[in-house]
Amino acid sequence: MPTPYLVIDGLTKVYERGQVHALRGLSFSIEKGEFLVVIGLSGSGKSTLLRCINRLIEPTEGKIWLDGTDVTRLSAKRMRRVRRRIGMIFQQFNLVDRATTVRNVLTGRLGYIPGWRSLLGLFSSQDKQTALANLERVGLRDKAYARVDELSGGQRQRVGIARALMQKPEILLADEPVSALDPATSHSIMQYLEQMNRQDGVTVIASLHFLSLARRYGTRIIALKDGQLVFDGPPKTIDNAKFKEIYGEDAEEVEVR
Amino acid sequence: MTGYPEGYTSPRPEWTTGRGLYNALARRADVAAKYFAMFLLDAGGLAALWLLVTYAYAWYVLGITAYILVPWWVFALGVVEGAILWESLGRSWGQKALGRELTPVSGEATAIRRLLYFVLWNLFGLTGIGFVLVPPLHERWSGLGLRRERPSSQAPVPWYRTSAGLFVAVLLVVTLVSALGVTLTWESLRRLFTQAGQTVEFWRALVRPDTTILLDAMRDMIVTVFMAVLATLFAVAVSVPLSFLAARNLMRGPVGRPIYTILRGAMSIARSIEPIVWAIIFLVWVTALRSPFAGILALWVHSIADLVKLYAERLEAIDQGPIEAITATGAGRLSVLRYAIVPQIVNPYISFTLYRWDINIRMATVVGLVGGGGIGQRLINYIWGVQYRQAGTVMILIVILVWAIDYLSARLRAKLA
Amino acid sequence: MSPTPGGAGAPRDRLKVLSRRAFSFLLDWMAWGYVAYCVMYLLNYYWYTVHVDWWGTLTLPSWGWPVVILATLELAVWCRSLGRSLGQRAIGVALRPVAGERISVGRRVLRGFLWHLSVPLAPVWIARGEEPLHDRLTQVGLRTETPDPERPGRRAILTQWGFVSLFLGALTMCVGWLIIGINLQVLIRRAPQAGRIWGEMLRPDFRYFTAPDPVFHLRALSYSILDLTVVTVFMALVATVLGGVMAFPLSFLGARNVMGFSPAGWATYGVIRGFFNVFRSIETIIWASIFAIWVGYGTVLAGILALTIHTIAALGKLYSEQVEGVSPGPLEAVWAAGGSRIQVVRHAVIPQVLPSFWAFTLYRWDINVRMATVIALVGGGGIGDMLFYYKNQGDWSKVGAVVMVIVAVVWAMDYISGRLRERIA
Repeated sequence: MPTPYLVIDGLTKVYERGQVHALRGLSFSIEKGEFLVVIGLSGSGKSTLLRCINRLIEPTEGKIWLDGTDVTRLSAKRMRRVRRRIGMIFQQFNLVDRATTVRNVLTGRLGYIPGWRSLLGLFSSQDKQTALANLERVGLRDKAYARVDELSGGQRQRVGIARALMQKPEILLADEPVSALDPATSHSIMQYLEQMNRQDGVTVIASLHFLSLARRYGTRIIALKDGQLVFDGPPKTIDNAKFKEIYGEDAEEVEVR
Repeated sequence: MTGYPEGYTSPRPEWTTGRGLYNALARRADVAAKYFAMFLLDAGGLAALWLLVTYAYAWYVLGITAYILVPWWVFALGVVEGAILWESLGRSWGQKALGRELTPVSGEATAIRRLLYFVLWNLFGLTGIGFVLVPPLHERWSGLGLRRERPSSQAPVPWYRTSAGLFVAVLLVVTLVSALGVTLTWESLRRLFTQAGQTVEFWRALVRPDTTILLDAMRDMIVTVFMAVLATLFAVAVSVPLSFLAARNLMRGPVGRPIYTILRGAMSIARSIEPIVWAIIFLVWVTALRSPFAGILALWVHSIADLVKLYAERLEAIDQGPIEAITATGAGRLSVLRYAIVPQIVNPYISFTLYRWDINIRMATVVGLVGGGGIGQRLINYIWGVQYRQAGTVMILIVILVWAIDYLSARLRAKLA
Repeated sequence: MSPTPGGAGAPRDRLKVLSRRAFSFLLDWMAWGYVAYCVMYLLNYYWYTVHVDWWGTLTLPSWGWPVVILATLELAVWCRSLGRSLGQRAIGVALRPVAGERISVGRRVLRGFLWHLSVPLAPVWIARGEEPLHDRLTQVGLRTETPDPERPGRRAILTQWGFVSLFLGALTMCVGWLIIGINLQVLIRRAPQAGRIWGEMLRPDFRYFTAPDPVFHLRALSYSILDLTVVTVFMALVATVLGGVMAFPLSFLGARNVMGFSPAGWATYGVIRGFFNVFRSIETIIWASIFAIWVGYGTVLAGILALTIHTIAALGKLYSEQVEGVSPGPLEAVWAAGGSRIQVVRHAVIPQVLPSFWAFTLYRWDINVRMATVIALVGGGGIGDMLFYYKNQGDWSKVGAVVMVIVAVVWAMDYISGRLRERIA
């Protein structure tokens, strides 16, 4: 049996100052092509988990094996090379507001470009073509040269997706991609993620707030509580009792249509 | 009412009433103003370029200072016609600045149409007749119109392919070339690289300050600090009441508005004269014997002008909510002032005052240089007496003083915020 | 039990509390020192038989200094023990008993005496992590004061602190008045002379606005007012461009978030920020006096160099504060895409800060034009040359013309740069 695509083994993260344990010995593995949804309350460690995978946050203990390489032990330079295979989209979009849409999308290419050329802002015309094509794909071709601060929230997140697409990622980390958006826009964003997952075979790891979205789009759900794994299984097996366990007794499931 | 059956009379046209006529005229004036702003930008830009090129040419080639080198009417005609020609070509710098482009309403933008546009602008645009209609006559008859620039799906044309971009680039290059030429001389550049030794005594003060002058310098520093403190206090006493008269939102009506305009204008003139110049004037007034007095008067005038502006701008930005609420309770004007306005402005006022005090400390040293007393006067005496080591020592003291006051006032202001 | 100042706790907290105590003590001492200075000044001024110079020479025999210093120290100590201390009030603490309601006067006096024994022993009690000896023996401590909600405060001006500040303010006014030599009689008596100057300045003589003034030469060329105005604006322009170009790279080295937290990063940050602060606190005109000695009196280059140095420091500080205030989101996104440190700066930091950089640069140009008009006083060149020349000649109507041109230029620059900044923001 081949080893799984991404293995997380005993991952622990302790924030030094307040002695806060964000993750406590988390272990699981993912196959290629899965759509994994991470759910849990705020502060349960979802964001920390995602950021540990591409080491925007250094894990305190534990190992992360991506396609057979131990990500936690790579040098900074090798890590950059791994990072360009890992796309990421963010809750607050993390776009440069003052720059045009296509500029923002092109920053997804930076991992591939030698330092001096990126310093002058010289992207190859092929990169520019790809950027426009990716904007076409998320339906924003007509806003390519508009400034990002003219766009709405949903449009900004689509720019974020186009930026991640520029990396030609094997794996996509989505950190609460829809929690700043309204329900209708949420669905359209999630559909883009689903499309990437189905058509391009990108493994997606998304953290979500709403169980209904998780059920609808995930092929597998894991739930975190206080940095520990409390549920791992296909979406169908998560029932009301499980839900109460994850979100606490008072929780009420909210439907997002 | 008139006895005619319904539908028989036509409604009175809008422009026959006074208000309607006014509205129609105002609308046309707006349009005309936009076109003239564009034209002024173009003509002004061309004029600036002409002046700079002539200036650089005269400086480098003829060895004189000159600005136009041609009769003034040639200059004026050239600039005006040049601007109109540039606008007919479609992408002038003024059009670019307002985000417009001259494009055909339908069909192709042929050379004939552009020529027509050029001529019509001269005939009807410059005279103002064409603006009776919207869109103006010269646009109507030439079949060209000003449109919003490209949609955001199109890549913008790179700057080096547009006349506006090239124009700005050329303007910048010519400006820098003539600025460098006029301000630098070979003699001074040569001295910059060979005469650094002249200042060696200053730097010697860093390692070996002259301690014998410390006590005297400290006394002068006390004078400087007192100058700043008193100038700020006296300025506050004057500018707090004045700031209410200089706030646009409080001064309305036929009495208030002139007061506001005059006060703001006077303050802005007083502010644009540096304290040093004020000090010169006051030195002659109170005689040079009482120099710290002249210095404090200069600081006082400049502080008033600055504080009134800062205070009044803060007053203009106050929240209207509390004023409404207090007025709604039936309170008088004074109560509104006391309970709705004053609580909103106390902390910002104190913070501006501290800021001004900080500036006054710096200014008090500078004012001393013309004979305004304090540490600055000691410094300039040393410099003119070629006692550079002592001057360096005084400079170290000034740095310490300014730094300490800067830190103190920043800390206090952070606490107030 | 709430942690008491100087008491048990982490060494770091203890140090913090102690330094706050030391600071408040220093404040008391300085307040008394200030009062002593003012009183001595007034005594000197009114009763000392030797004439006191107008700039306020303070005469004191050599043995007087230690006496004054010790006396003010004692006054500060007793003030603090008796519970009427400005310094304690400033940091919001007060002397309170460990147990019970009030502290008797005897205990307060005892604390005052014990203070003198306790302070030389300070290393001992600091090392043992105890409360100060004088507090421990008299069973009192400094506690944070919280206003009592039951007893609303009186109007600030009517409290003893109100009186103290009024007293200090009045003292400042009196002494300042004497030190500066404010004399309103002179102002009135000489009003006719001043009126003559104002009258001449308000009837400006624009004869040499465009025609070069033959009396006034510089560098073998005669200049008109217009010529020198153009030179002044060019000076400010060159200085702003040079200063901005140099401040731009330096500002990233002086930004906390770009430099990271390695020792080398800290060192660079400290050096650059120190450079900005020191060079900023020397005024342009003082720099000009140094450069005038260096590159020649009255050369425009001296003025440009002075303006440039000050511009680098001032713009560098403003720029690096902007860099520190960027939103971290885009930085994270570029990191996540595999960008290097330089790429993060180029593609996530610079696009965010560039508009405000432009705004600050324009603002600086505005300030530089103002500065350039007066820099000639110490040999920096520009329109000021003419201003001070005519003033020395006593030709006030030409001074008036120059001042009016300066006002017009400064006003126009202010307006244009204000409008442009509005558009950028």
